[in-house]
Amino acid sequence: MRVSHRWAVSIAAILVVIMLCGVAGRWLRSSTVHAQSPQGSQLSVFSAQTSYPAPLINLNGQPYVGLVEVLEPLGSVDARLDGKKYKLKFTAPGARELELQFHDGKDKGKIKGDNIKLEGMFAIQNGRGYVPLSSIADVLSRTLATQIRLNAGARRLFIGNIGNRFILELRRGIPSKLFVSFDSPVNPTIATEPGHIRFTFRREPVLPLVDHLVYTDPLITGATFSEHDGVGELDITGTSALMANFADGGKTIIVSGAPPPPPAVVQQAPVPPQPAPAQIVPPQPKPPAGPRFLVLIDPAHGGSEIGAAISPTLPEKDVVLALARRVQHELSNRGISAGLLRNSDIAISLDQRAISANAVRPALYIAIHAANSGRGVHVFTSLLDPETLTSRDFLPWESAQSAYLDLSGSVAGSIAAELETRKLPNASLTAPLRPMNNIAGPAVAIEIASPSENVADISDAAYQEQVAQAIAAGVAAVRSKIPEVRP
Amino acid sequence: MTRPILLMFLVLLLIAAGLGFYAYHLKSRVTSEEQRLAQQSQVILPPASGPTALVTFYIASDAASSLRRSQENVALPQERSERARAILRALFNKYAQTPSPHPIGAGSDVRDIFLLGSDTAVVDTNAGFAGSHPSGVLVEELTIASIVSTLNANDPQISRVKILVDGKERDTLAGHADLRRFYFSNGIGQLLKEPR
Repeated sequence: MRVSHRWAVSIAAILVVIMLCGVAGRWLRSSTVHAQSPQGSQLSVFSAQTSYPAPLINLNGQPYVGLVEVLEPLGSVDARLDGKKYKLKFTAPGARELELQFHDGKDKGKIKGDNIKLEGMFAIQNGRGYVPLSSIADVLSRTLATQIRLNAGARRLFIGNIGNRFILELRRGIPSKLFVSFDSPVNPTIATEPGHIRFTFRREPVLPLVDHLVYTDPLITGATFSEHDGVGELDITGTSALMANFADGGKTIIVSGAPPPPPAVVQQAPVPPQPAPAQIVPPQPKPPAGPRFLVLIDPAHGGSEIGAAISPTLPEKDVVLALARRVQHELSNRGISAGLLRNSDIAISLDQRAISANAVRPALYIAIHAANSGRGVHVFTSLLDPETLTSRDFLPWESAQSAYLDLSGSVAGSIAAELETRKLPNASLTAPLRPMNNIAGPAVAIEIASPSENVADISDAAYQEQVAQAIAAGVAAVRSKIPEVRP
Repeated sequence: MTRPILLMFLVLLLIAAGLGFYAYHLKSRVTSEEQRLAQQSQVILPPASGPTALVTFYIASDAASSLRRSQENVALPQERSERARAILRALFNKYAQTPSPHPIGAGSDVRDIFLLGSDTAVVDTNAGFAGSHPSGVLVEELTIASIVSTLNANDPQISRVKILVDGKERDTLAGHADLRRFYFSNGIGQLLKEPR
């Protein structure tokens, strides 16, 4: 009895040791692994101005979303880290600046001076501030002073009283048709399988008035709307194959039965040709689109490719995206259409940037970069060797820009002149910059550096605004010299 | 509880505490090893042996966004590619000093230089050169221009330069400057403040 008691205690002690080792191992692991990025997990944010994805990270089993990632598309953001204190200044267009304050590892913060309690600890990862996904609605409603609807499970966030609602109307007949009418045009991804047709809405804030409907119809038997993984999905079921047609400029989808497959041709018993069905109208050729003047702005880097570290908490990718949006806005103010090659924090390879830019066929390509050294603004055209200069008949990939160097130089000179007018330090140079060499059209690159000794001043809103205005004014001044391009 | 059992329990507790201490020690060692590696990469490169010769450097300046010419006596080997390598190592050595007019990645080095024909030099840099080079359009261009101009100034036959990293071709130096191409000494001279 005494021996068995001793064994029992020994085993208990060994178990204690194993537990302690486990705790030590867990502690070691936790000291190196803080955050996991769920594969492809992102929050779809819909606002009146735009819709965009915000990446989610997993911290201690809870989804977190970055404050900058959510707020930046909605206005001007200036985030700073002071030790464990995180301060973010946000200015919505036409509104006054307001401040958000949080502390790493604490669940309390302040927005506009008012206390807020998060449903988890505020976290700082790689210099960026993250709040629990479950708290983002509260944070945004106080920041933006508007109604927020969050479906955390479905990863969908609606800012303001928006939502593209739809109604379903089954028109019985032979065959029956289901009319799905939306408030505004939609462009869903459509997938079909026997007895199902599924519409997936990624960019549109589609919301249903009713989630589930059942029909007693020989063809269409039901419709179900669901939200998951940042998308809205409308699944229509039927007793046979279904097809969809768009009407009313994309505001209505008409679901009907798909025509049966053509009968197999039997050579021994040829079937006389059938007259074409009356309802089939031959497609009318679209008139060719006319030439247009589009400026494509390419904010460099993105995603895991952060570019230069302007400061420990300010990566180049964030600075250039903010400046690119300002340039786009300033160009629009001058009546010039402008698009962004990336409008969120995503990684795009250099070759893919060039491929996308050349496919869009912009009248002008502007790459935006930022540096943590030097002062002012550098305006670059492509550095190409004299022997690579070619005619426009054949453009090698590595030196496609060579045929457009004169026009690119005119744009660069005009932008530099506008910078000079605004007394912004600037220099015009050539650079061996990728993917500018691969762009088949006028192209310039802008590298912005801080206007002062303090590198963080690079994201100063007034400074960026001045630079953006100079770039836009420079482009507008030479617009008549740059040929419009047919898309 | 009998005395032997108590003793055994204490021993096991000590073992547990020891394991905890060992785990802490391992963690500290990893941290100090990382720090040591970071410091090790800042060692000053050893000079080459051989008779000294007057070498022309084109030193990049981030503040002035340009290259400035300077001359210095450097010990150089006789063989042409070894000479070129020694010159570039001396150039990198200047950038590694504190304060530096143009800091480049700590531990940057030239592994080898291959001369192709009479006019082309292929400069094989180590991984640290590109891995820790400051990122930026101008700052990367200045480094390349400094390498190309310095090589050409000391061996005028070298007019084409290609830069490899760790023996391989690389897309860009640090996210901006194209490393897939050859650089011509007469095409990158816009940054020179003083003529050759």
